[in-house]
Amino acid sequence: MKNNIRVERAIKNITQADLAEQVNVSRQTINTIESNKYVPSTVLALKIARVFGKPLEEIFTLEEGD
Amino acid sequence: MKTHFLFPYWCRYLGWALVILHVPLTIIGRSYGMVNIMDGPKSTGLFTGVHLFFICTSLVMLTGLFLVAFAKEKMEDEQIWQIRLDSLRWAIFINYLMLIISLVFIEDVGHMLDLNLYIPLLFFIIRFRWVIFRLNRSLSREG
Repeated sequence: MKNNIRVERAIKNITQADLAEQVNVSRQTINTIESNKYVPSTVLALKIARVFGKPLEEIFTLEEGD
Repeated sequence: MKTHFLFPYWCRYLGWALVILHVPLTIIGRSYGMVNIMDGPKSTGLFTGVHLFFICTSLVMLTGLFLVAFAKEKMEDEQIWQIRLDSLRWAIFINYLMLIISLVFIEDVGHMLDLNLYIPLLFFIIRFRWVIFRLNRSLSREG
């Protein structure tokens, strides 16, 4: 699964730490999600989408082979 | 996130203190002739001095490792939870692998208890801390 959290963060001008605080996880978790090393749970993905005010599919997309 | 029961964060330090305490306890005990009953050639009977000493030192070590292994992290989230589960899976896997190997190649079954007591917890702690250390390192590298 791919995501464009890094881009969305840049648009909203918030840091990984800010986003982590808003969705109640550690900065490490946001960092590993951004670098596609960790796939978040549905709950966390929905929370992240809510922070950016966009539907889930605009932030997370399935990759070939998923 | 809703988490299952874990010990509070400070229990980790209490756990390490107990693990460290186990070392001088064993050394002092052995200097008074309390050998590990695992090393003894014959049974010494239940609740004799040697057996009680063995129970005490093992309990100190086990409680210590247990607290270290199952204390909360500073920031508990779903990724930590996943790492914890994955490390547990590895610990059980390694434990059974070592048990099977020792079952086949070692005659002395007394050491199986030692293996089973410490290997899962020790391996879990090492693997869990190593993955978290790597996470933190990759985070600090990115800045």
